[in-house]
Formats: sequence, structure tokens, C-alpha cells
Amino acid sequence: MQADNRSSMILQTTREDHLIAWLTALAITIHLAESALPSPLPGVKPGLANIITIAVLVRFGWRVAAWVGVLRVLVGSLVLGTFLSPTFFLSFGGAVASIAILGLASLVPGRPFGPLGYSVLSALAHMAAQFGVAYYFFIPHAALLHLLPVLMTAAVIFGIVSGTIVAAMFRSSEKRC
Amino acid sequence: MKMLHRHIAFACLALLLALLTACSREEPVHHIQLLTFGTIVDVTLYGVEADRARQVFAAVEEDFKNMHAAWHAWKPGPLARVNELLATGEAFSAPPSVLPLIVRSQELARRSGGLFNPAIGRLLALWGFQSDERPPGPPPAPDAIAALVAARPSMDDLIVDGVTVRSTNPAVRLDFGAMAKGYGVDLVIDHLRQMGIQNAIVNAGGNLRAIGRRGDRPWRIGIRNPRGPGIIASVEVQDDESVITSGDYERYFEYEGVRYHHILDPRTGYPTQGVAAVTVIHDNATEADVASTALLIAGVERWHETARALGIKQVMLITSDGTIHMSPAMAERIRFETEQPPHVIRSDPL
Amino acid sequence: MRPGDLLVLLLAAVLVSYLYLAFWGPGTAGEYAVIHANGSEWQKVSLHEEHEWQVPGPLGTSTLEVRDGRIRFSDSPCQNKACIHSGWLSHGGEAAACLPNRISVQVIGRDRRYDSISF
Repeated sequence: MQADNRSSMILQTTREDHLIAWLTALAITIHLAESALPSPLPGVKPGLANIITIAVLVRFGWRVAAWVGVLRVLVGSLVLGTFLSPTFFLSFGGAVASIAILGLASLVPGRPFGPLGYSVLSALAHMAAQFGVAYYFFIPHAALLHLLPVLMTAAVIFGIVSGTIVAAMFRSSEKRC
Repeated sequence: MKMLHRHIAFACLALLLALLTACSREEPVHHIQLLTFGTIVDVTLYGVEADRARQVFAAVEEDFKNMHAAWHAWKPGPLARVNELLATGEAFSAPPSVLPLIVRSQELARRSGGLFNPAIGRLLALWGFQSDERPPGPPPAPDAIAALVAARPSMDDLIVDGVTVRSTNPAVRLDFGAMAKGYGVDLVIDHLRQMGIQNAIVNAGGNLRAIGRRGDRPWRIGIRNPRGPGIIASVEVQDDESVITSGDYERYFEYEGVRYHHILDPRTGYPTQGVAAVTVIHDNATEADVASTALLIAGVERWHETARALGIKQVMLITSDGTIHMSPAMAERIRFETEQPPHVIRSDPL
Repeated sequence: MRPGDLLVLLLAAVLVSYLYLAFWGPGTAGEYAVIHANGSEWQKVSLHEEHEWQVPGPLGTSTLEVRDGRIRFSDSPCQNKACIHSGWLSHGGEAAACLPNRISVQVIGRDRRYDSISF
């Protein structure tokens, strides 16, 4: 993109690291902002921070995305003071499930998934895991199951929205460069 | 790089959002159910932290335990002692835990035209209602009932001079059952206020007083259906309101197919008939409790004038056949929760 | 939109539909009751699972029976048996207690409509 070929090798790596650091910081910030928003049902968050994770997955691969995802939850919880609290276990469970499914999906030969597919898969896994943690460890009774369809619907919707945003981001940045 | 700039802008916006929306995610509502005061007591607090709520609940439980011991109508304690001394006819110094009830109930008994009469303890004992156990039946003999009614025990038979009390009628035996729950709730609400609590509900056996609000909405109170399952009506209360219900379903026994409940008409000595429940909304719980009993005894014919005399403006009276009588002030705010609209008769304003 | 994306969307649609069928059908209202023993919460019980709960108290064991979305005291070591006479509880807010055995039960309705009940 710029500078001469000799130093661009080194520069490119450094810039990429910076970008990853920025994206992680951004993901964390969005995570923090989301946690301050009231949610109509417990556990229903717009999942905006996931946009970053998916974008990183598409651009930089699964390993980096895994880092961003885990760091986002860890640092976010430390900043909020919810580390090792029930909220933390919910977020962490969701993040682990989401990363795991993204890992499996990215291994499928032929790369059939785009940002939309990854995003929906990730949102489904995230919400399912959060619900599982909540149901088995915190509120084990039938009333909670009644919420599950609603939560999963929300997950699908937010997954589609996030995936669309990520796809749009990449389309516009491709045009730019 | 454009993308980086966009991300910085986004991050700033996100940070701003985080700073602006510093709202708590969990609702600060705390509730406890205590088995005390001879009944189920529910206390709900809004707007305090869990630790503070625990402290407050402990204090409230202590209050109810003390009041239960002081006002117990038949177990040994201050009230039992007062009853012993009243029977002698001699003047004595009334214990400070009981004297206020005597003074207050004298005034309210008068205003209710004697329908509220806490001096009929002997009648209640005769029917078997002064016991933890359900009376097995049969109902007492009519002669026995008539004899006690003829003795006409009344709060007017008590002469109160400062802290000294004397009874001019040995038939007087005090049982504050029709007033104690309301009075107890009032005392506990006062205590809550002293502790700095501004939003709470204290509910002793279905007699409740609510102060403040539940955050951004009023407190929602359900009124039990006296003749079926579930809730018949609901009402929203806030700031400082008591919702007290008296019903013929609370304490009773059945004998040979007939139900005898614990609200006795002092004039006849028998449980009242015809009215299933009365709900009163009023500021303090003591007067509301007294009124709900007095109006149930007054019946369809005389509830209106009795409510007037007691200064009660919001009344709902449900008869045994399901007809609902309401004052206009009550009709305005009550919301029926039944599938079929009930038969409602609106009275004149109170 | 890649082929894999479409597959994922179809999968999501199927999954969510199944969940609604499984958890929103009639009889899955998810109402439950809270049983308190000796002042603290003993158990939250679903009103949709038939069960007999044996609750220990100072006088002995009280039995609470759950059937057809309702709960009641079916047996209790107290003398009064007022708890048993309270009958079946089914609606949110309804409560019964065995005071001598220090056991109470309250139905929590799905939408927690009322903050308190006057009765």
C-alpha cells in the first residue's frame, strides 16, 4: 500500500499487530458499553463486540480471533469488576462456545462460510452456552426454559445483523484500498 | 488509514455510551417471607442493597416476634395479664405494650357503633377461636352464646385514666385480633421509615401497607377471590396506602356441613352471614383493619354508614353470591382480573 | 452470501422453530412454587412435574403434592391441619403455610404480576 518494498515487510507486520491490538481494545470497549445498557431479558445483548471477533476471524484467521474473543471477555470482566462472578461465567462460557464453533466451522474444507454464516453460528453457540451455564449452575428450573426460544431468536437476529455489518465493512474497505 | 479512523470514532462513541448509561443491571428488590405473628408475613423492599435488606428484615422479624408475644390473646404475656386484672374490676397499671391498643380501640369501637368490639374475647374463646388448633365443633350451645352476649362486654366498660385501667364489666376479655395485624403493620412501617426505608410493602396475613413505589411504577396489589382460586381484582398503590381485606374464609371450622368463621357479630354472638369479604384502602393500616372487620359485620345494609363514620372512602364488599358493592372512589381504581365481568353495584360517594 | 451461510440460516430457522414447539406449547407455562422451611428457602418446585415433596420441620415431615399445575399440603404432622384445608394453590401469589411445622409454600406465577396479595 505505501512505503518502499524493503521496509514494508517489517512495517506490515507491525501495523497488523497494531491493528489487532486496536481491534481487541475496540472489542473490549464495545463489550463494556454493552454491559452498561439495560437488557429487557437477562442475557440478551446486541452482541456488537462479536462483530470485531468475526471480522478478525475472516481477515486474520481463527487463532487471532480466538485471542481477541477470550481477551475481550477476560479484560472486560476485570475492568467491570465482574471477574469470576456469575456474569463472567456466562460471558466466558458463551465466548468459549462461540470460538469453538468458529474453529470447527473454519476447518470445513472449501471455506463455505462467509461473515454471515460465521456470525450466526457464533451467536447461536454463544447464547446456547450462556443459557446452559445459567440453567445448570444458577437457576435450575422450568421457568427459564420458557425463555430459551426467545433468546435463541434474538441470537439469530443479532447474528444476522452482525454478520451483515462485517460483510459490509469488508466490502467498503476493499473498495478503499 | 480510513478504517482505523472509523474504528477510533466508534471506540469513542462506545466509551461515551458507557459513561452515560451508568444504570444498574439488577433490580434492587428484596423480599422475605416470615412465619411469625401467627401468620405469614411478607416484606418487600425496593431500592436497598442486599446487605441492608438483610439487616432490615432481621429488625422487622424481631418487631413482629415482640408484638406477637405482647398481644397474644391467650398465651401467657402482657395481654393475658391485662385480661386477668380486668376481670378483678380493680384498677391497675396497663403495660405500655397494651395500653395504646386499649386507647385506640376504644375510639374506633365507638366510631364503628360497637361493630368492632375487641372486648368479646370470651365469645371467641367459647367458639374455640382462641386456640392454635382448628375448633373441632360442634358450635357452642345457644344458651351459652346468649349469656355472653347479654353480658354486653364493650370497650366503653373500660375506664382509662393515664396509664391506669379498670373494667366495670367482668365479662370483658380483650382480643385484638381484628386490629392487631393492622396495628402491627403500622408500627413496622414506622420503624422502616426510621431506618431510612422509603419504598416497601409490609404484609401481615394479607393485611398490607405500601409506602413509596416500586422504582418507576406503583406497587401492584392483587386481591384474592373470596369464593374461588386466584385473584379477583388488582389495584395500584403508592406513596402511603394500606390495602386490608377481611374475609369469612380466613379462619373457620366446618361442622355437619355448615361453615362457622371467626368474625363474630358482637350483637348476636354468631359468625356473620352474607358477606364473603371486604377490602378497604386507607392510609393507615390500623383503621383499615378495624374497618374491614366492622364493615363485614355491618353487612350490605349498613356498610355505607359505618364506612362514613370511620372515615373510610374506598371500600369493596363482596357478598356470598358474588355481587360486588363499591364506593365510587374504589371503583375508579380497581381493575377486575376475572374472565367474566362481575355484577357491580356502585354506592353513593363516601 | 455463500452456500454455507444459507445452510446456517436454514439450520437456525429449524432449531428456533423446534425450541418454540418444545417450550412454548400448552402446559409449559413454567410456573413454579417456592417452599420455605424454617425461615429459609427449601426448594423451588415446578408445578408441571407431578411430585410429592417431603419437607422436614420441627414437628415432622409435611407432604406437599404437585399435580396438574397445582400444589397443596396433602399431609402434615400439625394438629390444626389448616395447611391442608387451604387446598390447592395454582395462581401466582397464592400461599399456604403450616405454622407449627414452620413450612410455607407460595406459587410464583410466570409474570410475577403482583407485588403483594391482600386476602
